[in-house]
Formats: sequence, C-alpha cells, structure tokens
Amino acid sequence: MAIKYTAKVIEHFKSPHNIGVIENADACATEGSPACGDEITVYLKIDKATDRIEDVKFQSYGCASNIATGSIITDLAKGKTIDEAEAITWKQAADELGGLPPVKMHCSVLAVDGLRSAIRKYKKEVKGIDYDSTLDVKTVTEELKHVLWPPVGVDIITLKLVKYIGIDQGAVKVEISINSDDKFLDPTINEIVEHVSKIRGVKSVNVENV
Amino acid sequence: MIYLDNFRSTMVAPEVWETMRTAAIDEYAVPAAFTQCGTGAAELIERAQDRLATAIGALQNEVVFTGSGTEAINIALWGGAWAQTVDKPEIVTSEIEHPATLAVYRALEKEGCKAHYIKVDGEGTYDLDQLSTVLNEHTVMVSLMGVNHMIGTIEPLAQAGAIIAEASQRAGRRIPFHVDFASALQTQRLDVNAMKADLVSFSSNKIHGPKGVGALYVRKGTKIRPISFGSESYSPLVPGTPNTMGIAGFDKAVELLYATFDKDVEYMRALTDRLAAGIREHIPHILLNGPDGAGRAASHLCYSFLFIEGEAIMMFLDMDGIVVDTGSACAAATLKPNYILMAIGRNHEQAHGSIRFTLSRYNTEADVATVLAKLIPIVERLRAQSTIRPPAQ
Repeated sequence: MAIKYTAKVIEHFKSPHNIGVIENADACATEGSPACGDEITVYLKIDKATDRIEDVKFQSYGCASNIATGSIITDLAKGKTIDEAEAITWKQAADELGGLPPVKMHCSVLAVDGLRSAIRKYKKEVKGIDYDSTLDVKTVTEELKHVLWPPVGVDIITLKLVKYIGIDQGAVKVEISINSDDKFLDPTINEIVEHVSKIRGVKSVNVENV
Repeated sequence: MIYLDNFRSTMVAPEVWETMRTAAIDEYAVPAAFTQCGTGAAELIERAQDRLATAIGALQNEVVFTGSGTEAINIALWGGAWAQTVDKPEIVTSEIEHPATLAVYRALEKEGCKAHYIKVDGEGTYDLDQLSTVLNEHTVMVSLMGVNHMIGTIEPLAQAGAIIAEASQRAGRRIPFHVDFASALQTQRLDVNAMKADLVSFSSNKIHGPKGVGALYVRKGTKIRPISFGSESYSPLVPGTPNTMGIAGFDKAVELLYATFDKDVEYMRALTDRLAAGIREHIPHILLNGPDGAGRAASHLCYSFLFIEGEAIMMFLDMDGIVVDTGSACAAATLKPNYILMAIGRNHEQAHGSIRFTLSRYNTEADVATVLAKLIPIVERLRAQSTIRPPAQ
C-alpha cells in the first residue's frame, strides 16, 4: 500500500514554523535520541505573571514527520497557558496535520513529549511543582502509553500487548506478547527500553517477549 | 526527473519497449514445435537464452528465464539445497545479501538447515577465511552476490569460487555455489567458469529491461529440484507459459548492455566520481559507505551525511525532482536501520543519514551538477535545524 504524507505535513516539513533556538529560554527539553532515529528539542519563553507561552521554538533531528509535528505542536502551544499547552495530545497534533501514516504516529508522540517535558521542567524549576512520581506499575504503564505499535499507530497498553510489569529495586521487567518474527518487534522493544529508562529511579529495563 | 535509484529498478530503454511491443503483437503464440507461430516464439526465447549464455560463458540450455530475480533466487536456493541428499544440511551466505536470499535462508532454517552468515569488513568485503572455515561435508548451498546493492562493494567471487571448489574436493561432492548477479550485471562482466558458479540469478529490470522477468543460469549437471509445478513445455524449473514479451524485452536489454558495456561503465564511473568529488568538496562531516575507487561498482555511491536524517534529505530531493534511496530506519517499513550499513560497522545515527545514489547510462553530467546544486543547501538547511551538531573544532 502506498504510504503518503498529507499536503499539510509536506507544507510544515518544507517550511517548518518556529524552527530554531531561544537564547535564555525559560525552559528547554530534549526527547528521543539519535540512536533511536529521532530527537526533538523544545525551547519555551514564558510570561511568568500569566504562565502564558510567549514564544516557542524547536530543533529536530529526524524525518519529515518529525519536523512537521515539531512545527505543528509549537504552533498549537504558542499563546496558550502552560496548563493548556500541556494538555495538547499527540492525536490532536496528528489531526492538525490531516493525519499521519500509522507507522509515523510515534513522531507526534515524541513532539508532544518534548513540549510536555519543557513545560514540566519549567513547572518544577520555576514553580516548584514536581511531576516526577515514584517508580511503580502505574507510572510504567503511563509511560508505556507513549509507545505505539507501528502498524496501527495505537499504544501498546490499549492494544493489550503488555502482559506484565514487574519492579524490583529499580529493575523493571516488561513482558510483551508479539509474534516472534514480527518485523516491528525489535524497534518496539528498543522504544520500551528508551521510554521506561526515563522514569526516575529506573536502574535497568528488561523486556521479554512471551 | 533525475533518477538515481537504478539499483532498485531502471527505466525501460525505448528500444526495449519497441521490441516488447513487436513481440506482444507478433509472437503471442505459446512456444511450441512444428507450427510457424509456435516455433517463432520458441526461437525468440532460444535467441534470448543464447545471447545471455554467450555473454556469461555458458551454454544456451543452461539459461532459463524466470518471473523475476527473486523467483530465480528461490529456484536456485530452495531447489538447489533440497536436491542434495545430505544429513544435517548446512547452508552458507553472508549477512549483507539481498532480502530475497536472506528470506529463502530463513525459510530453509525453519525447515531444519543450519545456516552460516559470513561477516564482512568495514567496506563490505566478504571474510573469505570465515567462508573456508564454515564449509564442510554437510554444506548443501553457498550463496554470495556480485555487487552489494546498498554499498556497491564488488565482491571477490573468483576467490570465493576457488575456496568452494577446494571444499567440494574435500567433501567428495560438488557444493553448489549460487551467485546473485542481479545488482552486478549493469557494471560487471561475468564468466561463470572463471567464477566456478553453478547457479547465477539475474533480473531484467536492473538493466533497463521490463519488470516481471529474471533469469537463472544452471550449470549442466547441477542437481536442482523444481519448486513449482505445471506444464513443462518450456522448462521443468519454470512451468507454465513463458513471458515471451518480457523475455524479448530482457533480451534486447542484454543486447544493449553489451553493445556499449565498457564505454558505459567508464562513463558512469566518471559521473559517480564527479558526484563524489563534489560532495567531498562542499559537504563536511560525511562518511562513504563501501569502498572508494575501483572496489566500488561504477554506477554506485552511498554517503552518510552526519547529524541529519536520510528520509528528510530524500524527500527534499524528491521535491526537487531527484530520486535517491536511503538506509534510514525512518524510511524503512520495519523502522530498523539498514542491516548492511550496520554490518559494516556504522551505528544507527550514521545509518540514518545515508543516501544511496545509483546511476545509469542515461544520467548526464548536467544531472550530477543539478544534484550537487540541490543537495548542498538541503544538507546545510537540515543541519541548521538539527538538535545535533558537529563537535566544536
């Protein structure tokens, strides 16, 4: 089947909005990693009296949809309060672009994660609100909702691909159930490790396909 | 459009299309004996067999036309391996073969064959010491390729053939040697005897022939079993009515290929050298994937542009009417970085930034100039946007 980007994605890829760096940003966060194929950095300038995002910029190491989703989420966030911007979902960002191919939905997740990380950093550093929760099954489950199953672009928790989450003194074990010769098994395991490793207190991540 | 993805598929040459059109109209009868129309079609196929056979040092009846390069590989590997009656069968290939070969090997593994995947060096050249180590009396198939499709490495097949011949003597029986020559045919001459190959597969659409046609060389006396069944009037290995129109097109493509072979190879070498020189001169932070100079196929060039991602480069070039390929995970249906780039020691990030330029005799110096003029600002622009930067000097 032909996988194509929408005209809106192409438009944002060709001429991304809000690309660049904000010097002396009030918050800045990077999500993803070059080893995983894509990375985004989001910079925020925030009016401290109103908590409104005055300016937002991003940089991207990634494919066309990575650049386009960075462009669209920064458009969506600009002028919003930090609480409003934090509530932007990856589904919303993808919809704004007229949709993304399922295999590219994770780019939207990454862009939204970048924006939320920057906002939470600001909240923690400037407002003293600490989001980092304790390491428990609920936190891991929430984080795994950011891992999408590429053929359909839906998260692995909703699809019930995660069978077990165990935590023992910082060692996290995640059991999944995916056909052992599925071409998306390895990239999905990598993404689970990447996401769970971000949670505070995690010392090791072991993913087993059962 | 400037088309630089000729290792994936090529434009059908105008003369090829004309030949196919004529064949479709005039030679629509099933090849058969005695009748004028039947023998006309049969002779068309025999001429095509003869031309390819002569070019590769084979006999006419050692060449059979298939439905694709992939089908030729399937018949050779599956049919060749199971024709051997050996206990605990073992099969040998490399870790950088074409997906068609690797898929048949995985299927053979599931049927109980033990597979050995030989390693390659940083330029993608086979580890021949490892090859000689893994060959033994259980080996029922060795499959190697003439030119690697991703990085352009010309593989040392004559040496590999000699190693396999020696191992065959030790084993007391001929170990079948299959060569995937699909990506090599455009730029490499082939002598099946010098290479000591028993089976060689070809693909028409890599040399400006039509899609839907391939060929398989089967050395006389090589044990091989059919993998599909039907009317054997053309060949027991490829049952059913042959694709006369496609074969006529492939034949014309072979004729055109060898009519100007040396001149074209030299011409394509000059173009890729010029493209490489332009990239090296104007774009810093690059890595050449595969060998430099004579070890690389004349029409092939694969560079990694560090700190940026290949799908983005490919799409920008596409918008400028330039067609290339990338080994980036982002552009792969599997979201995995290209396995050949990983096998030669590239990391994920280096594989992500890879762009493969594969030329043909139809490209021009003006094409190369346009590609450079478009590519340089695209790389600069994506780097300016990227989260990762070259380390400070």
